[in-house]
Amino acid sequence: MNENEIQLKVQALVDGELTGREAEALQQRINDDAKLQHLHAKLTQMRGLIADSELPRPLPESRDFYWNKIAETIEHEKRAGERAAPPKPVSRWLLRWLAPVAGVSALVLLLTLQQPTAPDLGITLNSDHELEMSDDEIDVMTYNSDDDSMSIVWLDYSMDIQRDYMELWLD
Amino acid sequence: MVLLLFAGGGLASVQADSLTVNARLVLGTSKEKQGSKKVSESIRKRLAKVFKWMHYHQLSSKKLTIDDSKTVTSKLSKNASIKVTNQKNGKVSVSLFSGGKMLLQKTQTLRSGQYMVLAGKSTGDSAWFIVLSKSN
Repeated sequence: MNENEIQLKVQALVDGELTGREAEALQQRINDDAKLQHLHAKLTQMRGLIADSELPRPLPESRDFYWNKIAETIEHEKRAGERAAPPKPVSRWLLRWLAPVAGVSALVLLLTLQQPTAPDLGITLNSDHELEMSDDEIDVMTYNSDDDSMSIVWLDYSMDIQRDYMELWLD
Repeated sequence: MVLLLFAGGGLASVQADSLTVNARLVLGTSKEKQGSKKVSESIRKRLAKVFKWMHYHQLSSKKLTIDDSKTVTSKLSKNASIKVTNQKNGKVSVSLFSGGKMLLQKTQTLRSGQYMVLAGKSTGDSAWFIVLSKSN
């Protein structure tokens, strides 16, 4: 036995954990060793101090009844948990389908709300008006006067009509 | 005599179904151009109310008489031309071409006193306008 093991044995002796023969053998060894005597004395003293300063905690009822009460409480909570856990088959089915549907609906609503809205240019185009572009690269702005007396289509398309007109006139 | 009356009635009905449209090519500028023909005051006021240009010069004007469901093509400048279709009940369809390429088609009911305007930027600080109106 090395020194550390002997120290642990002394500790066990002080705590009353050793059997009679083992305790006798160790006690004999302690009696022959001044160092072990000193350690035993210190540990015994320490144990006495702890035991003296520890507050007594008497149980409110008998030990058996106390532990029985704890066991009953654990059993009761376990049963309550089992009753609440499994939902009815219909509600489980509904939950399984409604949860994704609700999620998708919320996503669609969010995306719809986030759709970029067309800038309000103060343009009112009557349903009677139809505009068809043959070139998607040409930007167009439309305007309709309040009294519907004039509708304008402004094209982002440049034409040198003065020169065109002159050429037509000269032809 | 009865035949003549019938013939006259038929002619009247054909004339009633046809539509006459005035198409004008207009140049809008910031500065006045001497010697150019100005658009009518009614058109000038309407355009100046919307656009920044204060002077509007009429480069060409065409009167197009179009029968029901018929189409008439008119060249307004060297490159710009229009195709106007009478779609009955005062509804007209106007296609704008530039250099033979169709740019757009606008369809609407054109009543007396109403103007359909197709417009865009021109050289310098100017703009082109094609002003269409129903002729009385």
